[in-house]
Amino acid sequence: MSDLREKYEAVIGLEVHAQLLTKSKMFCACANQYGAEINTNICPVCTGQPGALPTVNQRAVELGIRAAIALDCQIRSESIFARKNYFYPDLPKGYQISQYEKPYCEHGKITVRLKSGEEKTFGITRIHFEEDAGKNVHASHGTVVNLNRAGVPLIEIVSEPDMRNSHEAGQYLRALHSILRYGDICDGNMEQGNFRCDANISVRKRGETKFGTKVELKNINSFRFVEKAIDYEIDRQIDMVEKNEPIRQQTRTWNSAKNITELMREKESAHDYRYFPEPDLSPLVISSAWLEDIKKVMPEMPVQVRERFQKEYGLSDYDAGVLTASKDLALYYQEAVKVSNNSKASANWVANELLGRLNAAGKEIDQSPVKSDQLGDLIIRIDKSEISGKIAKTVFEEMFATGRNPGDIIKEKGLVQISDTGAIEAAIDKVIAANPTQVADYKAGKVKLLAFFVGQVMKETKGQANPGMVNELVKKKLD
Amino acid sequence: MLTKEEVLKIARLARLELTDDEVSFYQNRLGRVLDYMTELKGIETREGTGVRHVPLDSEKFRNDEVVTFPDKEALLQNAPALEEGGFLLPAIMETE
Ligand SMILES: [Zn+2]
Repeated sequence: MSDLREKYEAVIGLEVHAQLLTKSKMFCACANQYGAEINTNICPVCTGQPGALPTVNQRAVELGIRAAIALDCQIRSESIFARKNYFYPDLPKGYQISQYEKPYCEHGKITVRLKSGEEKTFGITRIHFEEDAGKNVHASHGTVVNLNRAGVPLIEIVSEPDMRNSHEAGQYLRALHSILRYGDICDGNMEQGNFRCDANISVRKRGETKFGTKVELKNINSFRFVEKAIDYEIDRQIDMVEKNEPIRQQTRTWNSAKNITELMREKESAHDYRYFPEPDLSPLVISSAWLEDIKKVMPEMPVQVRERFQKEYGLSDYDAGVLTASKDLALYYQEAVKVSNNSKASANWVANELLGRLNAAGKEIDQSPVKSDQLGDLIIRIDKSEISGKIAKTVFEEMFATGRNPGDIIKEKGLVQISDTGAIEAAIDKVIAANPTQVADYKAGKVKLLAFFVGQVMKETKGQANPGMVNELVKKKLD
Repeated sequence: MLTKEEVLKIARLARLELTDDEVSFYQNRLGRVLDYMTELKGIETREGTGVRHVPLDSEKFRNDEVVTFPDKEALLQNAPALEEGGFLLPAIMETE
């Protein structure tokens, strides 16, 4: 496929639905609460009773504005709510309140770091407010509808079709997720569906300017699956074009068991949602004074944390970038430093050892078997010379495999570094006795042999001797 | 008058099944609604014409506080059927 990948170019645009971290719903005072007993958070408004009127949740709008600020969007001082009409059992009113012609913000951007180290900026077309639908549970004898989620506040973030491969799309999503988490805008929980992604994908021969027919991938609930699904879809579409088969406008979904995309529905023409302005709501006015107030209380964004890490912890721009890639990672690092009191060593351990292993295991930072305080503890033990850096890697490996504390592993495996002069001297004596030729050469001026003796002593002590002391004592003995 | 196809499209979007008689009935009836809207468009609404313009107020906000609706039973009672607290409906068929 790689040759064909060269011949073609993929065009990817992403739509993200992010649930806002409010206490109550978007247009009524019912609780915005995950996992409540079925149909407990419902009222006349969110069940679509005739005559019930919506009211706008101020906090939801504030959180949406935070997202707009963080994504460099142009905010509209007066935006309009609109009805999106369609029939589905989880939509009791027969329409969803959304925004259409005049969303509250447009023309934003987001900068991401690619694995090549290169930074790339992708455009955000628009963000608009809308309410979530309820949930259909399919049972054998029918469909059971739970309206707890109906009316929960969402923002939909629509990107420009700026991404060209799955990695760029994945990094866009991670960066967006990170910004929403940093801003306390959305909790980002993908399993609960609080951050959902749809991807529009088409392929065209390189150099062509016209877009190919796009296929929509829906409901993919992890970054990795989005990347896999996009890769699969690009190859599938290239294959079809090569075979002169027409690409049909479809909605497909990712089957993570089979590692393929599957048809959900054919899309003959665009949906006829018959949008019109919501007559029950006045225009949404965002004054500049309000905007300023929101800016004043904006939580720290990734760029700011990155700068702070450089100043506060003396990290390089690159390391600070790696460690602030997600809020969870930045918090992990900060906690590790708090325990270890060694910002540089903590950065090395988190950025290299820990992230490397998490990556290989396909885990995110919040699933790390090694907790931040345990890593901090390990670093303290290195700094106190209780263990050498080399032994520490063995200990860390064990910590990662078992989640146990470094102290327990060191004690159990007898890995404590030997810093006792007597014990080290005994080992040196043994090495000297066993290597008379080298001793003679050394004394004759072949000082390079020092490294040989140090190595032998380390071997004799199974790597547990304090290397600095070995170095010093070997010299003293031989000179 | 709407065309037969236009009526059938609207009916499909509304998930309604219409007989041929009903289709011609709605061709006429919906056509009259549209005629009326066209007539409304002709009304002069600019200032000074005597037709009052009601300015749209900006939307008043609600504080983000939870108020539990006290009579959920009443909401559930409107359902044709319930199962373990959920609205029970015929199985969903994907039509699009
Ligand atoms: Zn409600």
